[in-house]
Amino acid sequence: MWRFALRESGRFVLGLFGALLMAAAIASLTSSSHGLIADLAAIVTRLFAFLRLDFGASAISGADAAQELAAHAPVTLTLIFLGLALAIVLGAPFGLLLSSAPVRRATAPVIQVVSAAPVFCAGLALAFVARKFLGWAPGNGEFPPVQQVLHPDQSALRLVMMPALTVGLAGMAAIQVALRRSASEAQGEPFREGLRRLGLSALEIDRAYVAPMVFAGLFQSFGEVVAALLSAAVVSEWVFKCPGAADLFVKSVALHDWNVAALILFFFASIVLFANFFGRLVSEAIVSVGRSA
Amino acid sequence: MSPAPLLRKFLIAVGWSGLGLVAIAVVLSDFLARAPAGAGHVGPILTPPSSLFPFGTDQLGRDILSETLHALNVTVIHALPAAFLAIAAGSVFGFVAARLPAPIRLPTRWAMGVFAAVPSLLLAILLIGLTNRDYAAAAAGLAAAPLAFVRVFDRARVSANSAHAAYARATGIAPSALLRRDLAYEVRDALLVTAARAFAAVTIILSTVSFLGFGAVPPHRDFGLMIAAAKPVYVQAWWTASFPVLSLLVLVLLARLAAGLDEGERA
Repeated sequence: MWRFALRESGRFVLGLFGALLMAAAIASLTSSSHGLIADLAAIVTRLFAFLRLDFGASAISGADAAQELAAHAPVTLTLIFLGLALAIVLGAPFGLLLSSAPVRRATAPVIQVVSAAPVFCAGLALAFVARKFLGWAPGNGEFPPVQQVLHPDQSALRLVMMPALTVGLAGMAAIQVALRRSASEAQGEPFREGLRRLGLSALEIDRAYVAPMVFAGLFQSFGEVVAALLSAAVVSEWVFKCPGAADLFVKSVALHDWNVAALILFFFASIVLFANFFGRLVSEAIVSVGRSA
Repeated sequence: MSPAPLLRKFLIAVGWSGLGLVAIAVVLSDFLARAPAGAGHVGPILTPPSSLFPFGTDQLGRDILSETLHALNVTVIHALPAAFLAIAAGSVFGFVAARLPAPIRLPTRWAMGVFAAVPSLLLAILLIGLTNRDYAAAAAGLAAAPLAFVRVFDRARVSANSAHAAYARATGIAPSALLRRDLAYEVRDALLVTAARAFAAVTIILSTVSFLGFGAVPPHRDFGLMIAAAKPVYVQAWWTASFPVLSLLVLVLLARLAAGLDEGERA
């Protein structure tokens, strides 16, 4: 386990370095090009500046890029956490339910159609429901602070619910696929037959041996789930006019504000890399606890 | 044969047949459409679906059926080279890179792993921002490539360490010959699946970047741009967004079925 953790930590640090290098290359676009050597020197200069936590200034607002990110990141993180919570609450039971063959066969056509819908179509559909049937006016660039999200009143709920649901639907799809994949693998494991012959009931086998395998598989795909949530956050913030980091990224790229775009890209890549690292560690921990039990 | 593989084969056949019909519609789109692309005031503005305008008209009086056919054309024409690029820079490169010597293989896997940590949509937006909207198809293809690379690379590493590879090496078969042999089998077994999967992935990326204002340029509107244009009015005039959304959904669904993807599985 320790060797595994060490190896994964190394991979995580190397991944972060790669993301930093990519961000430095993007941020160096702010300096005019004078050939390959000068470009490489500019990237190295930006890289060292990043290591000193100097991320440059926004070309649009003139504010520090890190301040811009700090002002917008809470919205994106709120949407991702709410989306993740929704995805777990709805996606986990759904995924487990779909791991049984008859339910899966019955629901397959509907899920196949839903899976084909791009996230922005789901966002637009939810915005339509909110405006047409619930009478909620569209947001106008406002988003409640985290404290208000934790104790929401009706106005906060109106601003948060549909964007979070859009992100949550994308996460839910990713979670149910991960769960179903690992549940299907566990179904075919030869140890089930052996344990049955030893006299264990199906429930005991599922609880003690299969459930840890299924959840280990889910954590193995945690990075994938978080990447799906982040992608959905970009679309959700755009559709519902939430002033988050993903929305800022889109505007920064459109206006060639490379310092801000680079920092946001590094931030997002770090989140996914951390989710991958964390997921693999938890997955391995679950498997090794199961092995030693 | 049990019912499940039979059903799977049937669905794959449905997917490819549907994509064949889409290809015919794309080729004949100018002939099938009543109005040229972007032609305004073909009818009264925001007319609901009727026998005269089966998909209705939009806020500029454009015939939505004609616009949907033109958008299908633009979406497919952009998605094809993008899918090709995703296969070349992702799947094929991943397969070859997995057989390269460790000093080249490991840094390549690391670099692609870093790119794969960035959601494809953001990568596509960045690449379009770095170039311009004319290169949206190339950007979508390159953005989809890292995930395809990682997927194929990891699978190819398992194959490179398999028993048949060990026997081949032991009997003196050159690594390049083994690579050619495995690549030929990969192309034979997985090309169609990979192509359909890449097509579904880049279609979603392309339509999303267009929706966000980074993709197609008017009057050559794709589905994403059509849906974005309908955004201000679609709550009052549902048909302006519904038909392009449905068409996009059917296109992606057919590609997913052709690729044999499971329900919910990412393209």
